[in-house]
Amino acid sequence: MAPQLRLNAVAFVSPQNHPILIRTFEQPRQDELKYHYIAHTSLDVIDERIQAATASKSTDCYLGLLYVEDVAVYGYMTPLKVKIIIALELSDSIVRDADVVAIFKALHTAYRRSVANPFLRLNVPTENVTDHSILVSAGNSRWQAFRKRVDEIGRAVGGFQ
Amino acid sequence: MASRKMLDDPALDARLTFIRRQSGLDPRAALFVLSPVTSAEIGDFVRSLQEALYEPAIEYYTNHSKRVRRKRNRHSQANVSYQLPLTTIGSTSAQRPLRPEGWTVRYEYKMACFAEFRGEDDIALKHYHDAYSALHIMLGSTAILPPRTKRWAEAKVLADCISVKICKLYLYNNEHAMALAHHSSHMRLFSDLSRGWGIGEETFEFWSWLARQHRVFAELLEQGTRSTLKIPTHLPSPGVASQTQETQRGSLEVEAMRALGLNPTQALQHPGFYYYMAARCTENRRDRYLRALENESSHHASPGFVNERKVDHLSIVLELYTRAYELFKKYSTSSSQSQGRLTLWIAYLIAQTYYESGKFEMAVRFFERIAKTYRREQWDALLRPLLSTWYRCAQHLGDMELSVQLLLEIIGHGPQDDQDDPESLEEDLLAVLKSTVPSSDQVLTVDLTESGPLLDTSAVFWKSHVNVDQAAAFQITLTAPEIISLASLPFTSLLVQFSGDLPSITVQHTAPESDADVSSLQKIDLGDLSTSSSDNEDKDKDIKANLRWRPGDTLILCGNLTSSVPSNMTVSKLVLTLKEGNWNIDLPLHPNSRRSGTIPYPRWLGSLSPVRFIPVHRDNYSFVVVRHRPHVVKVSLSSEGPAYLGEEFPIVIDVTNADDRELDIVVDILLQPTEIEEADNFISVDEERSSSLIKGVEFGVLPPGVNMNKTLYLACSGAVGDRVIDISVQSRSMASVSPTTPVTPQSPSQVADTGETLRTLVVPTVDPITATHHVTYRRSTKPSPGLGDLDTFEGDYWDDAGEAHVVTTMTSVGPSGIFVEGLKLLREDGTYAKVNESTVDQDEDEFLTEWHTGDEFCDQCRISLARLDEPLGGGYIPGPGTYEVSWRRLLPNNQKGSLAKTRFSLPPLKPPSDGLIALLNVPNTAKLHQTIPLQLTIRNGHPTKSANIILQLEPDAVTDGFVVAGIRNGRLPILLPGGEEIIKWNLIPIECGWVKVPKIKVMNRRPPPPSAHGQAHDVEGEGEIVEVVDVRWDGRPEQSVRTSVDVARKSVEVPKVEMHPSDAAQFAAVVLVLP
Repeated sequence: MAPQLRLNAVAFVSPQNHPILIRTFEQPRQDELKYHYIAHTSLDVIDERIQAATASKSTDCYLGLLYVEDVAVYGYMTPLKVKIIIALELSDSIVRDADVVAIFKALHTAYRRSVANPFLRLNVPTENVTDHSILVSAGNSRWQAFRKRVDEIGRAVGGFQ
Repeated sequence: MASRKMLDDPALDARLTFIRRQSGLDPRAALFVLSPVTSAEIGDFVRSLQEALYEPAIEYYTNHSKRVRRKRNRHSQANVSYQLPLTTIGSTSAQRPLRPEGWTVRYEYKMACFAEFRGEDDIALKHYHDAYSALHIMLGSTAILPPRTKRWAEAKVLADCISVKICKLYLYNNEHAMALAHHSSHMRLFSDLSRGWGIGEETFEFWSWLARQHRVFAELLEQGTRSTLKIPTHLPSPGVASQTQETQRGSLEVEAMRALGLNPTQALQHPGFYYYMAARCTENRRDRYLRALENESSHHASPGFVNERKVDHLSIVLELYTRAYELFKKYSTSSSQSQGRLTLWIAYLIAQTYYESGKFEMAVRFFERIAKTYRREQWDALLRPLLSTWYRCAQHLGDMELSVQLLLEIIGHGPQDDQDDPESLEEDLLAVLKSTVPSSDQVLTVDLTESGPLLDTSAVFWKSHVNVDQAAAFQITLTAPEIISLASLPFTSLLVQFSGDLPSITVQHTAPESDADVSSLQKIDLGDLSTSSSDNEDKDKDIKANLRWRPGDTLILCGNLTSSVPSNMTVSKLVLTLKEGNWNIDLPLHPNSRRSGTIPYPRWLGSLSPVRFIPVHRDNYSFVVVRHRPHVVKVSLSSEGPAYLGEEFPIVIDVTNADDRELDIVVDILLQPTEIEEADNFISVDEERSSSLIKGVEFGVLPPGVNMNKTLYLACSGAVGDRVIDISVQSRSMASVSPTTPVTPQSPSQVADTGETLRTLVVPTVDPITATHHVTYRRSTKPSPGLGDLDTFEGDYWDDAGEAHVVTTMTSVGPSGIFVEGLKLLREDGTYAKVNESTVDQDEDEFLTEWHTGDEFCDQCRISLARLDEPLGGGYIPGPGTYEVSWRRLLPNNQKGSLAKTRFSLPPLKPPSDGLIALLNVPNTAKLHQTIPLQLTIRNGHPTKSANIILQLEPDAVTDGFVVAGIRNGRLPILLPGGEEIIKWNLIPIECGWVKVPKIKVMNRRPPPPSAHGQAHDVEGEGEIVEVVDVRWDGRPEQSVRTSVDVARKSVEVPKVEMHPSDAAQFAAVVLVLP
């Protein structure tokens, strides 16, 4: 049995590299800013990975381990180019990619379900469904469901603390 | 000494021996004398030296190893045999003998070193590992190595060194993961130990040590990458299913891990990361040091602390960050494309360090660059601490303009989460404004459109389109954020600028009379604004509003815009002016901007009490398109039924100006090209005539309500079918081009006020008259001239070959009648055919009447044919004439249309040819008992065969009504091709009434076929019967039915009627015998 992964933070970044939602699960809650920086700097590595992926014609969403600081940062990009970045606590053990991908899939589903919320488009003048500001607004504090879903995943990964 | 001369010197040996003895060298050992060599040869020299020394060196170190191993073995046996008693803690270490563990470490280290010298990396690695683990055991026990003693310190440094050696050897082997794993495990193990030694994570010693480890590792990697070391990339392998990822590593263990994944602690990264880690650790070290400095007294005595005081932490941090920055830059493969966010992050840390070390100018320079990317990508969370540090820098630098600008930007971004209260920033700003003076008197413009705006703005137009001179209602909404207070910022005015020539308007601040009056929603009417109104009018307008926003307050400016020229009207700019003391600050606002993270939400204030908003569900709500009123032009096209081929068909184009403006009307008419065969169509209007396009038919300037029409003529020829005409009626308003409205220089590209009305007309075209022909041919009764007849050589000699009778039936088929003015047969006598006579020539007036649908007119004409000299191409003789019908269409109002002519040519002729033929010529009537002649002409029309004719007259015994005088039975001389023989009888009728002439049988005894000469006599009696034709009834259709079915049917019927009195099939010619 693989050792329990500890999820420290989750970040969703829009295709235009605007932050959508950044949640941290570290206990006690500290240094949230650090994870903002981690999410932002990861975008560089993600760009590199995407270039490599397009060069090899890979269509895989999972971008693998991005870099290691005092946490291990993994990246994932949805087919609509929303980037999901997670930070796992370092432990001297092998992290199974299957586990990481499972976390990403869960997060992706959470995002998808939240963006599908029809009320996000209430009063929005345009019918353009890909308008990114709508997608970004899904992480707005007005929409609690997304946070709740992400927090739930965080709890589930973190081992029912 | 190495010179050639010296080599031959006899004293050399003695001297060398002396040197050997003096230096205590073994006689067998090699002595090298380094001679001065040129730099070009130095490589060779070194190589030769190495070759010479390599073997002895290996041997030397092998011996050493053996010796050390022997010693170790001896020692370990001794160690097993008797246990040393534990020494008391705190005894002076200098005099203490080395413990067995210590010896183990010593020997292992030696062996590792010797193995390394020998180049046996694997063995060296093993011994180093053994030494390291032994050392770890020693350090793990305070009993063996009491902390903070000299030997302890040495052991600690030794452990670090061995760790570096191990990492290096792993890297030699390209085992990145193992190297990194060892590096991290070393740090972890010794972190645990440090805690036990009282130099745990809360001390600067610990962080200093950790920083050193990271730095050494980074330097090791950096050195390695300069030679052959490659930093692995941790890409998920492409093409493999998402669950089984693999990193590119060379070792075998990867195979086992393929299905599992990657241990993040073993993923080697480029040295920049480790420099970065070292810098972070050093920052922590400084942190701990500063903390220790606060309670200095307690640590005062410690020598480490005294040492620490001399350290310039910040410059170390700066150096480490700078090296990390350079490496990050070097390793970012896509530096040109990506933003370099990693480097920005390092740059931010560098800037922070500069700030800490008081180099504010440097920090500010960094901040400026970094903020650009963060602003663009809307990472507010990152921007906020950056801005506040930047602001502090600006304060330290005394740059008041920058301070104000940054404060405003911070206010725009809103406060950091629950850190400071919403009003503190505002107070800060006011304090700065009040306490300082700007460096210059110029207006300070703070453009926050890139970053977060102070106010949420939206400019909404009610309609998307308006006509010229029609008012477009707009509302500009300015809403203050709810999370931060702006209420005390002294805004004095708000300038609203519109696009194009629209005048801008300024709203002045006025304080409300009492606080009770202030509602959270203010609506200010800006009135009507238009391009035509002069500037003076606007200045009179004194618009005042309360320009103070409490959290969540909204100011709505509404009004109407009118433009006299077509354009796009929009709110181009809003400028808030803030005045306090000497400060004069302009804050430009984009008319439609939201704070980041919120969706634009355009809405229209429907009513003030209660406050109701109507959401605007339009994409382009922020501008309104002004265009000319469409022109109301009525176009009607009238024409009567289908057009006839050949006529000029009138189509009346009627244009009515139903607008209230004078319109200049120009019409373009296009006749579409048709696919119809041989179509040759024309349209004509006025004097113009074209086969495709008539452009610019002037209808002139039509005042309102006036209509005008023109007749378009369409002339079609060729085949029937539809003709398509496109009519484009273009109208241009005379008002827009009138010189009374001056064109302002700001709008040079004035859109002309034009309109266009399009009509498409499909005109079916039909034939007015159709004609059918029926042709019969008669044989010539004239005897053919002899071959040598001189008359035949005359120029006007007509070699008669019979006649053709043509019956032409013309039918009026058009839906409306025509009036025929003339019908002529135009003769075009040819070489082989000429018109002899026609009924048309005789009584013309009778048929020059109105022909209505279904009326038919028939003409007969006789055409004389000449003998053909040679077969015609196609076998037809062209018709020797054309009927020309001149007609006018009967219009409904009893008028007649234009004169049109329709022509039908006589049909082409193809007289049937005969072979051998017998023509019977007998008078129609006879008188009883008076002799009548009976003549039979036998003509051999065959071009090559001669004929052998046998003639037989068979009087009918029963019914015979004639007495016959002449040949009864006989054989004619051989008839050559083209020859002709005439046989005559005399008949005396002896009966009255229709009397049949005696039957004449003509046989052509065929010559035997050339292939059967021997049987020629047997076929003597055979022969073919030659047709006997009564020339009175002679009439044959053409050999092939050429005309339509209708014609064919008639051609069958007509002979039947004509042949009725006689029984042509039996060929019994009859004669009416009168008494």
